[in-house]
Amino acid sequence: MKLLTCPINGTRPLSEFIFGGEYRQAPDQNTCSDAEWAAYVHNRQGAPGDKKEWWYHSPSGTWFIAERNTQTDKVARTYLLADAKKVVKESK
Amino acid sequence: MSLRNSYKPGEWINRAKEINFTFEGEAFTAFEGDTISSALWAAGQKVLGRSFKYHRPRGVLSLANHDVNILMTDGTDTNMRADVVEVKDGMTLQAVNTIGGVKKDKNNYIDSISPLLPVGFYYKAFHTPRKLFPFWEHMIRKAAGLGIVNFDYPRILKRKLHTHCDLLIIGAGPSGLTAACKAASAGLQVTLIDENRHLGGSLSYDHGGHKVSAEYGEDLLKKIESLPNITVRVGAYAAGYYPDHFIPIVETGGITKVRAKAVIVASGAFEQPPVFRYNDLPGVMLGSAAQRLIYRYGVKPCHNGIVFTANDYGYRVALDLLAAGANVLAVVDLRAGGNGGLHNLELCKRGVKIYAGHCVYEAVATSDKSKVRGAVICAYDDKNNVALTDNKFTVDCDGIVMSAGWAPAAALLYQAGTAMQFDYDVQQFVPSRLLDGIFAAGKVNGIFELDQRMRDGERAANDALNYLGKLAVNTNAEKHSGGAPSHAYAMVPHPKGKNFVDFDEDIQIKDFENAAKEGFDNIELMKRFTTVGMGPSQGKHSNMNAIRILAKIRGLPVEKIGTTTSRPFFHPTPMGHLGGRGFHPHRLTSLHDWHEAHGAVFTDIGAWKRAAYYPQFGQTKADAIQAEAMAVRKSAGLIDVSSLGKIEVHGPAAAEFLERFFTGKYANQKIGTWRYTLLLDEAGVVVDDGVASRVADDLFYLSIGTANAAMVYREMQRCQQEWRLDIGLVNVTGAFGAINIAGPAAREILSSLTELDLSTEAFPLGHFRETTVANVPTKVIRASFVSDMAYELHSPMRQVPQLWNALMDAGKQKGLRAFGSDTQRLLRLEMGHTIPGIDTDGLTNPYEIGAEWVIKMDKPYFVGQRSLSILSKRPLRKQLVAFTLAANFKGEVPLECNLVIDSGEIAGRVTSISYSKFIDRIIGFAYVAPAKKAVGSSFDIRTDNGLLVAATVVATPFFQLQEA
Amino acid sequence: MPFRLLKYALKKEHPAPRFFKAHEMPKKSYDVVIIGGGGHGLAAAYYLAKDHGISNVAVLEKGYIGGGNTGRNTAIVRSNYLTPEGVNFYDASVKIYEGLSEELDLNLFYSTRGHFTLAHTESAMRTMRWRAEVNKHVGVESRVVGPDEIAKACPQLDLSCSGQAPILGALFHAPGSIARHDGVAWGYARGADSYGAEIYQNTEVLSIDVKNGKVCGVQTNKGYIETKQVLSAVAGFTPRITEMVGLETPIVIHPLQACVTEPMKPWLDTILVSGSLHVYVSQSSRGELVMGSSLDPYEVHSTRSTLDFVEGLTSHMLDMFPFLSNVKVVRQWAGMADMTPDFAPIMGKTPIEGFYLDAGWGTWGFKATPISGKTMAQTIANDSAPDLIHTFRLSRFEDYELTGEKGAASVGH
Repeated sequence: MKLLTCPINGTRPLSEFIFGGEYRQAPDQNTCSDAEWAAYVHNRQGAPGDKKEWWYHSPSGTWFIAERNTQTDKVARTYLLADAKKVVKESK
Repeated sequence: MSLRNSYKPGEWINRAKEINFTFEGEAFTAFEGDTISSALWAAGQKVLGRSFKYHRPRGVLSLANHDVNILMTDGTDTNMRADVVEVKDGMTLQAVNTIGGVKKDKNNYIDSISPLLPVGFYYKAFHTPRKLFPFWEHMIRKAAGLGIVNFDYPRILKRKLHTHCDLLIIGAGPSGLTAACKAASAGLQVTLIDENRHLGGSLSYDHGGHKVSAEYGEDLLKKIESLPNITVRVGAYAAGYYPDHFIPIVETGGITKVRAKAVIVASGAFEQPPVFRYNDLPGVMLGSAAQRLIYRYGVKPCHNGIVFTANDYGYRVALDLLAAGANVLAVVDLRAGGNGGLHNLELCKRGVKIYAGHCVYEAVATSDKSKVRGAVICAYDDKNNVALTDNKFTVDCDGIVMSAGWAPAAALLYQAGTAMQFDYDVQQFVPSRLLDGIFAAGKVNGIFELDQRMRDGERAANDALNYLGKLAVNTNAEKHSGGAPSHAYAMVPHPKGKNFVDFDEDIQIKDFENAAKEGFDNIELMKRFTTVGMGPSQGKHSNMNAIRILAKIRGLPVEKIGTTTSRPFFHPTPMGHLGGRGFHPHRLTSLHDWHEAHGAVFTDIGAWKRAAYYPQFGQTKADAIQAEAMAVRKSAGLIDVSSLGKIEVHGPAAAEFLERFFTGKYANQKIGTWRYTLLLDEAGVVVDDGVASRVADDLFYLSIGTANAAMVYREMQRCQQEWRLDIGLVNVTGAFGAINIAGPAAREILSSLTELDLSTEAFPLGHFRETTVANVPTKVIRASFVSDMAYELHSPMRQVPQLWNALMDAGKQKGLRAFGSDTQRLLRLEMGHTIPGIDTDGLTNPYEIGAEWVIKMDKPYFVGQRSLSILSKRPLRKQLVAFTLAANFKGEVPLECNLVIDSGEIAGRVTSISYSKFIDRIIGFAYVAPAKKAVGSSFDIRTDNGLLVAATVVATPFFQLQEA
Repeated sequence: MPFRLLKYALKKEHPAPRFFKAHEMPKKSYDVVIIGGGGHGLAAAYYLAKDHGISNVAVLEKGYIGGGNTGRNTAIVRSNYLTPEGVNFYDASVKIYEGLSEELDLNLFYSTRGHFTLAHTESAMRTMRWRAEVNKHVGVESRVVGPDEIAKACPQLDLSCSGQAPILGALFHAPGSIARHDGVAWGYARGADSYGAEIYQNTEVLSIDVKNGKVCGVQTNKGYIETKQVLSAVAGFTPRITEMVGLETPIVIHPLQACVTEPMKPWLDTILVSGSLHVYVSQSSRGELVMGSSLDPYEVHSTRSTLDFVEGLTSHMLDMFPFLSNVKVVRQWAGMADMTPDFAPIMGKTPIEGFYLDAGWGTWGFKATPISGKTMAQTIANDSAPDLIHTFRLSRFEDYELTGEKGAASVGH
């Protein structure tokens, strides 16, 4: 079984985690068109590659972001969403 | 005539312990430690099984757990592998896949009609006329298959263990043993496994007539024993490689899942048969099989043998045969000018005739075709791979021992993502790029000389040490020198065929040629069309030859052909091992024992076991439910709703969180009141509903449906990660239990146990209070899900039984009784309440269930809002309505999920339906065309038996029907 | 023995010709290029030629024919879906399958076994009834049966499932069948080839040339091919192809795993599915138990195997059949399932002129092979999708008109 590293609880077997899908930013619902919203709701970046994803460490209830290559199944890094935003802010 | 030799040190049998068993009715004796095959062979029983397709007699081939033609049943178990399963006293054995036993298998006629059964024959016939196919299919199914399953075989619950180690070494031959010593000496925690029951690998049988290797073996084993940080597991195979160095080790007792920091694969190589006519006759066996018989079991493979070799290994085998007291009549070496180096001299000295550049053209069978009685030998053109039969001659013999080369036991390496390349110097695929933490050593790495294998093991250990950050020298990789251990193409064509490549599936050279002629000329297609490698040995002795044959057919180098994908399992693995003890997690409320003691029938809802109803004295389910419901309507009922999801939302922004998460408004909600909650997904689909009680400005207490609770809480947590509001979420589902007391007597019963003023004026619907009931701290929610007069009591889970019992006592005289979740379904239906997941499905939007009243589109945002703004512009496709059947309806009552039919087309379906004794009508919910939604309009429901039943749309609650 | 096997015994030379020609390099242009030499792509090529006379067609397969999900599924054919549109579509497929061995003159071992979807809970029983009623409405033989009837069809089944999940009943679907999956691809390949379609293995599409919203060609590892019509029938590789033309779809890839036991004498004559225990199982004509389970829980574009899959599956198999404890699993494998949010395929035209999509087959592609080939051929030939697949159009997502198959999968408890 694969291992995954929860940013709070450390490296744990995959059976403790739940996949939450790709991390996506919604368009502004007040300004986007119906078609844009429908595309946001239904469409996905299905092609393989490096993706930001939601993962949930079930025993502790921790949501975090994993940067994972969906072809090799290798995880580059994991972090809390809040920390990601901090990183972005700092770099601006 | 017995083939048993006298005692030799190192053998695996215990001659002090004699064992008696029968095989197909005949009595045999053996020694403890014998496998079924070695015991039978020692006794001169050479036909041990019949092949899968042609039912040809078969004997020992590998003695290495891929003799899959030799499968036995002991009456209890089936498909037992006789080459490795130890024989036990009192066993009564029978070969599988025969009609009437191995000697007189009635299916042996299939061999003689084999020309009618070309490769892929079953694709070419039996399908026309279509009517007859079931007949042919029946015949084919009966002829195929191996053992008969024993339906009385007990369920075996095998344990599973998890362990960790620094270094897992797979294979305890010379390279694995050396690696283990080196790594453990450097301080690593090492786990060393081997599928055999003793350590040593080929050190225990490949002696070349001398003792050197045995002595090496003894030294290594002593060293292993002296190192405390080596854990040894024998009789244990690595079933597969899974990501992050996770490897299940299978033993008789169960599976141990090892998580290793690094892995050395020293799994050796499978010896490959040369391919010639009748190479499958009992008496024809691999060189390493002969050696195993000799040294492990003290059994002579034959009296008068011929060695057919295409490498130097055969010469070693010849010396081992001599050492075992067998005559070696000839060594036939396929290679022009081939010789076994030093062994050659020794053999010559002992008078063994060596035929270089020759082949065994065919094996000759005894008149009953049951075993080998001779070999036809002739010259061989090693360039063009043809037999030159002009001067062929026959040598009488009772054994042909073959050595043509090896295929790496590289399954785990492949599964670990190792890139393999074909090395022409050794004529074998070897690892060319290993991924992090995986190392290979020994034969699987293309290293064959004993000294080199040991050095290669040390080198791999050093590499592993370096990888793990320990100081170690960098050792240069070993490189094979001298002749290739494997022959490039050890195949002898024969016009009459029966030169087998795959013994599992009876596939001959011509099958490959014909498959290629039909266009199946790439390795994967060829595999699928010929089924090569698809038998239980998974191609261990056939895949490599198949690749060579295809390369030859296509005129391509071997590496251009590639290999088929390696998949778990390394050896077929029992379901009882894999399944283990099974695991069915579920949750119980603190009242579970009470429910059980009172005869509850349980139902699974989400992870919870809930009491569905409590049948009394042989009551039917329907009667029990009606009786419980009547109690609620006439006096009072009590239900355990502890499985409800319960979530606290704390913090200044708690109301804002709810407003974003649910469709309704909560900012202006007064403390001490509750409001309905409806949750949608981003697509505007109804997910769940529940109740939000405002405990304080900065605290809401949510109760939500049982089935979805975990998922809803998870979604709340995710949203909070994005929204970053000033709140905290606490899941108190397990901390609090809950009881609902409902019915006209509920208030009176409850008031006897609490100080709280329960009058409608002081405590109206839509409110909740915190108090104590029967000295238990309780949150009392005046909800109306099952009755207008009902209180939902939330208390610490552990104290719920105290509360429940107090209520039961207090209500005894008032007719209070327990009701279950099935009764709750009827009660809420009477009240006109829908349940998400029952009255909705994965596409239902809130407009379709008339939930507009709880959707506040004037909020800035809530989950699903934008999709609703799109959906609201679209015409409704269906509408949920409450309906009733005619009063005194007699006839077939529709069931949930019966269809609503409009002009012969499907308009919707019934989602809930039940007879209500209290109302004395059949009531329910159904989806209808929006045009039919008005109260008073009627529609048709089609029953299971196709009758149309008229239903009328009514308003809720259904009690109005009763009043009318 | 059937007489048609006699020629193999009597002739010196192997009398069977190649299934399909081995072409070296593709031509400069084709009327239609089909990406993907699985069952679907090959069937489309076959019906393009047979039904519509379009045979100037190239099928481009990056590996070998039938090597993707066609050769990796558990080969179950059925039509007991939930929506009338779904049932009609798959029923049309079943009808073609029933005569396909004869039509292609290749024995596909199409074996009608009967298919039981076991229900262990009341809510599962509700869903079974829903499906049965819709099936009956459309004229497909499905009905809800009780434990007695299940026991009759499969007396070895432990109806209590070792006490873990007692069986309350089942949806019985009489036409449920299994077939030799490889044979389906090979048969269609031979058929398409005989009409003149050209099949190229080891031929990978590197990009698709779109100008002004119209397809004009494809770049392959064997050169550029001009064409105005391209069909993508690549299952788990669909997102890579749609990315080439800049088309967004809801498809995500999840592995679907399966495994097989060693052969045993026939005892299981039906196809059994348990939603609660996540098991489906049938016994092949070779005698192996072919077993599958639910989709892997997260996106991966590879066919790797996991141990937890086979542990879970075998544990549940033993709940149903405790006596299989010592029967051995020989091999496990996986395919890449192209999942849609509503568990229905995406078929037909796309906003790009000349680019047709046959995708979103998830875990149900094999059973649709003949009808998808036929309807996609029709769509390409007429540049218009037939009514039978209207419900599966890509634009349903923008229209918020997802198919109702999602309904059953999400009904709770």
